Amino acid sequence: MKKLSLVLVILFTNLYSYSQDITQNSGQRLLNTNVLNGVTIGGYAQIDYNEPDGSTVGKFDVHRLVLLFAYKFNEKVSFVTEIEYEHVKEVYVEQAYLSYKANESVNILAGLMLVPMGIINEYHEPTTYYGVERPSIDTYIVPTTWREIGIGISGNLDDLSLKYQAYVFNGFKSYAEGEGILRGIDGLRKGRQKGAETVVSSPNFSSKIDYYGISGLRLGLSGYFGQTQTDDTTIEASTIGVSMVGFDARYKYSNLELRGQYIHTILSDTEDYNMLTGKDLGSKMTGFYGEIAYNFNLKGEEKLTPFVRYEKFNTHAETEGSLPKDDSYDRNELFFGLSYKVADGAVFKVDYNLINNAVLDSKTKKQFNAGVGIWF
Amino acid sequence: MKNRTIIILLVLITSSFTTSNRVETLIVKEIKKSFDIENFTKESIKITNELNEVLPLKLSETNFFKINNEGSIIGYYYLGSAYGKAAYFDYLVIFNKDLIVSKVKVLTYREDHGGEIKSKRWLKQFNEKSTDKNLKYQEDIVGISGATISVKSMTNDVNKLFKTIGILIKNNQL
Repeated sequence: MKKLSLVLVILFTNLYSYSQDITQNSGQRLLNTNVLNGVTIGGYAQIDYNEPDGSTVGKFDVHRLVLLFAYKFNEKVSFVTEIEYEHVKEVYVEQAYLSYKANESVNILAGLMLVPMGIINEYHEPTTYYGVERPSIDTYIVPTTWREIGIGISGNLDDLSLKYQAYVFNGFKSYAEGEGILRGIDGLRKGRQKGAETVVSSPNFSSKIDYYGISGLRLGLSGYFGQTQTDDTTIEASTIGVSMVGFDARYKYSNLELRGQYIHTILSDTEDYNMLTGKDLGSKMTGFYGEIAYNFNLKGEEKLTPFVRYEKFNTHAETEGSLPKDDSYDRNELFFGLSYKVADGAVFKVDYNLINNAVLDSKTKKQFNAGVGIWF
Repeated sequence: MKNRTIIILLVLITSSFTTSNRVETLIVKEIKKSFDIENFTKESIKITNELNEVLPLKLSETNFFKINNEGSIIGYYYLGSAYGKAAYFDYLVIFNKDLIVSKVKVLTYREDHGGEIKSKRWLKQFNEKSTDKNLKYQEDIVGISGATISVKSMTNDVNKLFKTIGILIKNNQL
């Protein structure tokens, strides 16, 4: 921890001194068409207020504050990193990777990177999605912000309007110090290693293809396949197989915006895993959401956007062996709310959330959320 | 498997050693294709420093040219740079002799994010636009989800170029 603090101090001191240079250089840079190196700073933040209906108290939270900086060494080589503060006091490195541009359509990337699955994991800046919180599927099925250490390639095929990405990543940790880690309520979420002193026992493969050749439409197909990691490879049951496939679509027509996502996850060998660890991990997890939003243009950059999103997801879509399905993991949520964008990178948000599950006679939970999102 | 990986890496690395001639060759190819010609000469446009100061995009001897063919002006081209999320990208705008856009192309894109704007289909939206227009994001130029910063940046820069050319026309420089 001390080491991390030291690194952060050094990083921020550098950041500060660089930011001075940037203001001095930015004007010159704009005049010079051949600037090949330099620092970029940026960041995003999400500050929330959540108030569940009933007797529970509300809470304010600086949910995420992320500082990005990138350094370009030359025409081909750059380093990108994001330092994240969660709930003010937890510090993470969200991304830290070296990018080498081999040619116009091939980048080689290595380091701590985002796993391309669905929309939000890669595009999670709060001004880019509706609702105070990220979609729930992107918490329970796709464990955003999902990042691991790996190596891969990405690039755009300009004639075909395609983007491709392919990586070998380190996987989820399912077992450590004699204990199981993964569980039924949120599937793989607890197993994220986030690049911190990770254990490696087998590689995982991840790939995504995006098509954007039709005006206003973007389609994505993602796949993730592999085995979880364990600190004790002598216990075969301590790992499970993971196959996740995702399909996503985003469409903008004039002021109308539509979004949808479907994620299908198969977890194998969960019967042995649950037996070994006493956990209740499901063998199939699925989820989808559909969202519709309409932008009303106000003066200048200002925009008012009402939206509705319906989500349905189940981390116990199937279970193996004698494990009964827990109906409370079969959830659906309805969000409706408003976004008031006051600048391109600054938004005020409010929404109301109805949360249901498949348990017989269960009551609808309600929650009010408000927050600000920024991205620069 | 290992050998194959090494070969692939070698191919990628050597393919990256293309010289800066790549860009020059691309520009020549695009101009020839746009005007359906075999040969042309380029001529830089000289303006006074005072005029250059008021232009939204500064002109130099290396970024804005007339295109001559068989003794007459057939068009113009501009080489610019705009900022994506974390790096500049370079682009080319070719105009016909009436200063209507005939082609926009991204020549070099330096980051792994936002490269969607290199899509030929997307860039076609700029074609046929005249310089008296102020292009509006989402109305005149439809965006690409996931590449919004680069899309806006490209649109802004083309608008600046249009304004620059408008001022040049007003001052009888074109």
